[in-house]
Amino acid sequence: MLADLGTASLAAGLLTAPLAALLWLRVALAGPAARPARLASAAALLAAATAVVALETALLTHDFSVRFVAENGGRHVPVYYTVTSLWSAMDGSLLLWLLVLAAYAALLARGRPDRLRAYAMVVVSVVTTFFFALSVFAANPFRAVTPAPADGPGPNPLLQQHPAMGVHPPLLYAGYLGTVVPFALALAAPLAGPAGRRWLRVARPWALVSWCTLTAGIVLGAWWSYAVLGWGGYWAWDPVENASLLPWLTTTAFLHTTLGGGRGRERWNSVLACAGFLLVLLGTFLTRSGAVASVHAFTDSPLGPLLLGFVLLAVLTATVLTGRPRTAPAPAPASPLRSRGTAVLGNAALLLTIAATVLTGTVLPLLAEPVTGSRAAVGAGYYHRTAVPLAVLVLLLAGVTPALRVRGRAEALRRLVLPGAAGLATVACVGLSSRPGTAALTGFGAAAFVLAGLATARPLLRPAVLGHAGLALLALGVAASTAYGRAEERTLRVGETLRVSDVSVRLVSVQRSAPAGRMAVRARLAVSSAGTTRTAVPALRYDPARETAVTVPAIDGGVRRDVYLTLLAVSADSGTATVRLAVNPLVGVIWAGGAVATAGGVLALARAVRRHRHRRPEPAGARTAVAAGAPA
Amino acid sequence: MAPATILLLTLGVGVVLAAGERPGPGVAHRPRAAPALAGTTLPGQRYDLAAARGHVVLVNVFASWCGPCRDELPLLVGTGRRWAPQGLQVVGLNLRDGPDAVRALLAEARAEDLTVVPDPEGVRAVEWGVRGVPETFVVDRDGRIVAHQPGVVTAKWLEQHLAPLLGTP
Amino acid sequence: MTRRRLLVVLGLGVLVTAALAGLLRSAGPAGRADPVAEVAAGLRCPACQGESLAESRSPIAASMRQVIADQVAQGREPEQIHRWFVQRYGDEVLAQPPTRGPGLLLWVVPAVALLGGGLAAARTLRPGRREAAGPTVPHGRPRSSRIVWWLTAAGLVALVATVAVAADRLTPPATRPPPADPAVVSLRLAQDLEGQQRYGAAAQLYREALTARPDDDAIRLRLAFALLRAADAPGAERSAREVLGHTPDSPDGLLVLGLAQRTTRPAEAPVTLRRFLAVAPGHPAATEIRRLLGS
Repeated sequence: MLADLGTASLAAGLLTAPLAALLWLRVALAGPAARPARLASAAALLAAATAVVALETALLTHDFSVRFVAENGGRHVPVYYTVTSLWSAMDGSLLLWLLVLAAYAALLARGRPDRLRAYAMVVVSVVTTFFFALSVFAANPFRAVTPAPADGPGPNPLLQQHPAMGVHPPLLYAGYLGTVVPFALALAAPLAGPAGRRWLRVARPWALVSWCTLTAGIVLGAWWSYAVLGWGGYWAWDPVENASLLPWLTTTAFLHTTLGGGRGRERWNSVLACAGFLLVLLGTFLTRSGAVASVHAFTDSPLGPLLLGFVLLAVLTATVLTGRPRTAPAPAPASPLRSRGTAVLGNAALLLTIAATVLTGTVLPLLAEPVTGSRAAVGAGYYHRTAVPLAVLVLLLAGVTPALRVRGRAEALRRLVLPGAAGLATVACVGLSSRPGTAALTGFGAAAFVLAGLATARPLLRPAVLGHAGLALLALGVAASTAYGRAEERTLRVGETLRVSDVSVRLVSVQRSAPAGRMAVRARLAVSSAGTTRTAVPALRYDPARETAVTVPAIDGGVRRDVYLTLLAVSADSGTATVRLAVNPLVGVIWAGGAVATAGGVLALARAVRRHRHRRPEPAGARTAVAAGAPA
Repeated sequence: MAPATILLLTLGVGVVLAAGERPGPGVAHRPRAAPALAGTTLPGQRYDLAAARGHVVLVNVFASWCGPCRDELPLLVGTGRRWAPQGLQVVGLNLRDGPDAVRALLAEARAEDLTVVPDPEGVRAVEWGVRGVPETFVVDRDGRIVAHQPGVVTAKWLEQHLAPLLGTP
Repeated sequence: MTRRRLLVVLGLGVLVTAALAGLLRSAGPAGRADPVAEVAAGLRCPACQGESLAESRSPIAASMRQVIADQVAQGREPEQIHRWFVQRYGDEVLAQPPTRGPGLLLWVVPAVALLGGGLAAARTLRPGRREAAGPTVPHGRPRSSRIVWWLTAAGLVALVATVAVAADRLTPPATRPPPADPAVVSLRLAQDLEGQQRYGAAAQLYREALTARPDDDAIRLRLAFALLRAADAPGAERSAREVLGHTPDSPDGLLVLGLAQRTTRPAEAPVTLRRFLAVAPGHPAATEIRRLLGS
């Protein structure tokens, strides 16, 4: 029953999405009322929502005759993780993807139906059509299983350990698909005639939505991997992580080049708007098709070639539509060297270079395979040498922004003296008192430079201040935890002690339990530092259904540092346990930085929406356009 | 950058990616001399691969803690018994394991007569370029590695790589 | 005013010098005290995805670290050790891809991107001559817009059809394994436990597997063996008798029964074991049993 409902709603989506595309095209070409087109878009959303609800219901009612439930459901799985198992595997996550995409389409359809919006809706509807087709023909989760098994294995045990699982993927999807709107508007602008001039003003709030959710999603993902994967790190330059970083980089650049109405930077704006969504598609191809192996990658499927074909089609369309010279508005005057224009373009060039670097590192294994025969991934060392120094430069550029808001060179220099002195002093003090390595040291300096510059900013609650402060905090946390993190791993007998810096850990006991064949081993450890003693219980769990062992780390978080304990192995007689003790300084600052940066994005979005509400009828004057962006 | 350049670039990359999508033919291995493999076997006898010239040797890297290894062990032992008259030796290189666990595994697989060289630190396996367990090498009568299978072997694979060396139909 | 400026410049100069000193000091060696870890960080774990040898926990990585430690102890240089590994594992064992062949792209692409981005930024900032404003695309002629509409419709149909056909061609024919059978899982687990000589826990799992497949005597025999090793002779005897109830001449059943009886009723054990020898004289355990009976 549910399977039929699901397949039927996917089929309905496959009909309504192209219908919407054609109706919107009619609106764009001939200009009749937009109501039927809006209805078609709403119907596509309804179809996607019904499919999601049907699959969730099947998961929750343990309907194992549905293929996806048989492969990813399980009676032993808690309700929360049953709900999240929708996006724990390929086919179900494609449904969530469709729901988010259709929701964006329906939201975009609500505005004034001029030709710009109509053409953009055509683009979004075509994308929706493709993903509906993919879901129906290549990855239908509703196919029947006969005979229906009595129970399923449940989702990957790693995906059942942390509540962030319920938030991280939907946020990321919202971020990924948010890029489709600027992309569609950029393609629509050259077609829409005079209405096309407005595209940036329409696109910016959507890009902000995408940026906020992407930022939050990426940081949450880092937190999840820190708290669950048990290796003590939060970022591994894994292909999936890289794939999420790529659109973030271009969207960040887009948010900056569109500042002040983006005048004089038309090419940059349209290239960056397109790059965001194209990188999302490419990332989806790389990670979801099994082309690049990764911790997160789902298994091989026929999706690879189809996605690749669609990526190429999208690149082709984007290049043809936005590539040709267009009626240029009044050419902007050449800007002086010390201006927001310079900073914004330098920032965009750097961010694009980082994106190109990360993309090369991610794709190289695929390109190299036909030549060298091996598909070895590029290690973190490469990114440390390339992307990290560039990121420090970006940070330094962010630190210069306070000097851009004032008149006169002397005044600008004066504004930079204090932050510059703070940055240099930080480098000097830290570098002379310890040896954190060049990258971390420059990171500290740049972070101090930015933060000191922002400390005098008035008013403090501005999107740019929050965004840059968040970025600086993030850099600070990353630099500190990589430079000063210490870890040691040893096999301890009961009663023995392991010591790392000022933290010592004593093995109190090892406990085993095996409820219903799910073996678990826990090590009870007494953690003492600075005169206080606490108990930590890291565990090792064995999931029989998927034949994997999962480490469950115990994290004793603090403001200054985290004590991170992992249980690696236990001897047969439970007399000894192999324990890894890591002391990670300032990891909490990373999460705080992510939160602050996201808050900055949300604030910018709130202002943009409010202004949009107030000033909808009149065309925006220069002042409004300047204020529309986060002043950088 | 000119649109045409972008187009050409993406198309080129796309073609390469599409080519990479197809599983290529298995990487051909040139025969190379087998590294040394000598040590004391489980029952305490001396074993040296260098002394096995003239025999075809099937070297299987295994461990009792590895499920697939346990599964393929009977096949390897059976193959060894079947082709011993033609000059086949099967040697197990036991990676990072305890003698008791191996004995239990051998007893379970009824393979007590298998020649097992323990490698408690895994140093020998690294010498052989082992990536994981199980892994199987075929060493020909001249002491060269002629076939190498990372992962579980099948009866077909063994047949295909051993029969020509052993001169069996 | 000038005095103040002088002070500022002086102060900044001191800070710059100190910062440079800190940077130089920090860039020097001794970032990592452990030479083994340093060599290991330059190599990739061949069994894992994107982890270096220094951080991987896989057994083979531990062995490779051991080899590195041995070679470092012999006084070999990091370069030599890396080469030793490349000979055995190929170039891909290096964490840093070699800068030749496709690996060259790793450095060329960022450089080109930075250069291209910088040039484009410079051109945007100092526009020399702008491209003349071209005419807007002619628009809205009814004839051509109808053609555009139909073309789009055809394109959409083609898109969906392509996906449908390609998906059908590309789907691998039913490669998915059947969903896990709890009995199989219990069995595998129990065997693992036996390997770790934890026979009591293994027996418990065999019992679970038996509830799912009550007719499987192979499992019951394994249970009996596990119980025997867990020193639960009465339990082993019971299970063995159940097996023999179905197949009276099962050699393994007789073997376990006989061995269990040596504890429970020593008088009957030799009889059972002799029966075992009569049924299966070539059994791998036969010699051992003969020795037992002889002594």
